[in-house]
Amino acid sequence: MRIGILSFAHHHAEAYIGNLRSIPGVEMIGFADDEQERGRRFASLFDARQYPSYEALLADAPDGVLVCSENANHRPLVEMAATAGVHVMSEKPLATSLADAQAMLDACQAAGVMLMTAFPMRFSAPVLEVKAMLDACGLGQVYACNSTNQGQMPRHHRAWFVDEHLAGGGAVMDHTVHLADLLRWYLASEVVEVYATTNHILHADKVDVETGGLIMLTFADGTFASIDCSWSRPHYYPTWGGLAMELVGARGIVNVDGFRQSLTTYGHPEQHTAWSYWGSDMNQAMVEEFVAALRESRPPSVTGYDGYKALEVALAVYASARSGQPVSLPLTGS
Amino acid sequence: MRVGIAGVGFMGTTHAAAWAETEAEIAGFLHKTEEGALPLAQRYGAKAYQDLDAMLAGVDVVDICTPTHLHHEQVLQAAAAGKDIVCEKPIARTIEQGQEMIAACRAAGVKLLLAHVVRFFPEYALAKAAVDRGDIGQIAVVRLAREAFQPKKAANNWFVDFDKSGGMMLDLMIHDLDYARWVAGEVDSVFAKSITANHPAAGVDHGLVILTHRNGAISHVAGSWAYPPPEFHTSLEIAGSQGLLEFNSDATAPISLHLREEEGGGAPDVPLPGSPLSESPYATQIKEFYGALVHDTPVRVSAEDGLAALQIALASIESAHTGAAVALHPLPEVPA
Repeated sequence: MRIGILSFAHHHAEAYIGNLRSIPGVEMIGFADDEQERGRRFASLFDARQYPSYEALLADAPDGVLVCSENANHRPLVEMAATAGVHVMSEKPLATSLADAQAMLDACQAAGVMLMTAFPMRFSAPVLEVKAMLDACGLGQVYACNSTNQGQMPRHHRAWFVDEHLAGGGAVMDHTVHLADLLRWYLASEVVEVYATTNHILHADKVDVETGGLIMLTFADGTFASIDCSWSRPHYYPTWGGLAMELVGARGIVNVDGFRQSLTTYGHPEQHTAWSYWGSDMNQAMVEEFVAALRESRPPSVTGYDGYKALEVALAVYASARSGQPVSLPLTGS
Repeated sequence: MRVGIAGVGFMGTTHAAAWAETEAEIAGFLHKTEEGALPLAQRYGAKAYQDLDAMLAGVDVVDICTPTHLHHEQVLQAAAAGKDIVCEKPIARTIEQGQEMIAACRAAGVKLLLAHVVRFFPEYALAKAAVDRGDIGQIAVVRLAREAFQPKKAANNWFVDFDKSGGMMLDLMIHDLDYARWVAGEVDSVFAKSITANHPAAGVDHGLVILTHRNGAISHVAGSWAYPPPEFHTSLEIAGSQGLLEFNSDATAPISLHLREEEGGGAPDVPLPGSPLSESPYATQIKEFYGALVHDTPVRVSAEDGLAALQIALASIESAHTGAAVALHPLPEVPA
């Protein structure tokens, strides 16, 4: 099984290299990056082969590729891979417009290749444990959810994360899709309405995109769920941010925190206090699922359609924030 | 200064203990039955009253700790008798009632002190002081949560009677709706969801409210009567342009008790939050009110604040039931 990486624009690519190399029987063939200088740096850092172009990597007939370009550039790379008959896992959000996301789904379907969306939280051990509990009716009917996916302003990872065109927005586009996806999966129900209010107070002097957002989703079964997607963690916060859900059901309440499993260090050189995550590696489990789906010729547990539906929620957030009223889904006129 | 306490339930009992820490004389307790008022009257050497006018004749200040739907009539009665008033939150069941109460107190020249006790909890007061000092810059995102079990009562549980209490949003969430307005300013728009509105047959309530403040700050307020007794969790998070404030009652609980007992430890009927303190926040509140009553010193919460909190809570209920965001308009000045 030969897997390559298209673009190092997203810093997750750095983790995926190691994830791929640790899977028995998988050859991480290398990567291509349209920023040649950045590519040379990572080629040296990871001792990895740098192909001169995306076309050259795809011509080397990999079984699958991981697309780690800027959000707005997922579509051309996914379409290129589909045309080459190569299966794809794309970073989240799947795209920055529903038209792009639909085109990606169509291209992969037409080419008969798999499209997986990289939603690593689906593979978090605590998140999976609660999913199993919900499926066993451990909480009874779920009525409500209060969830957070807050973080630091991510410009220090890559500048494009705060570029409205390349990222598709700010905190909303960055964080909403994770919880929108988890909630669709947990509840086995679709979002029918989105309300949101956003602002631009945090880091107003540094970025032009929205940095604060509070969102309310209503699902077809009547369940409602709020999401806080704000970049409200200061740069000296003990970790990058986090993801947590409080689910209220007929039998009680369950709280799940995807990043609580951490070691506290006092005296960390950059952050005086640091929380070092020691929980299971969800990126590893996600990349293994991509490989397993390829090997077993089956759809992955997180599909391109899941990526489309989560993106639809994020786009509805912007529409609601503009109008000040809830927006009905599915969105039309994409 | 003689104080009469109307209501002998959880809040009447709690306020009595707080008044006992002041120089005030606790002169009477009011309940519709004599046997209801007697235990507290005997404990504090006060009279047991069954009639508000009779108690008003024997006191200088009345402390209204009765169910919400009674506040309006009793405050009007006390104002007509020329007595200063302490009134539990929410100020009233409707805006019109609250406006009439404020106008009546102003016309009668009596004080109307609203017991929004969360403003007196040290963790909440400390966070407010940090915000006012500018420690975290301009406020951007506020998160508040207050999660407990549904109050129980042996009989006549007015808490669960929506007409009387206004339900969980008016009885419980109003604390944090008031606090959000206190730290982040006036509210322009309210959007809310509740289990009561979406699943009326569920038998539990949990509400989530999103506020958009006039200055651009946004707030998320969670309230719950869905937790099992005796759990009561509160939390606060205020993110500003220069920093972040966090408080969580579980994380800061100084004592954790784990008794090996067959029966789960008895939960109180009405959940009250609290961390061990040398002075209860209820006493801090009543002492500040006492100072205002005797020395005319300032208080940190006005009757108009109580009315504004009521407006946000009622808008939350409306939004949860209509599904639309509710725009708030400044309430007209109550005429003097």
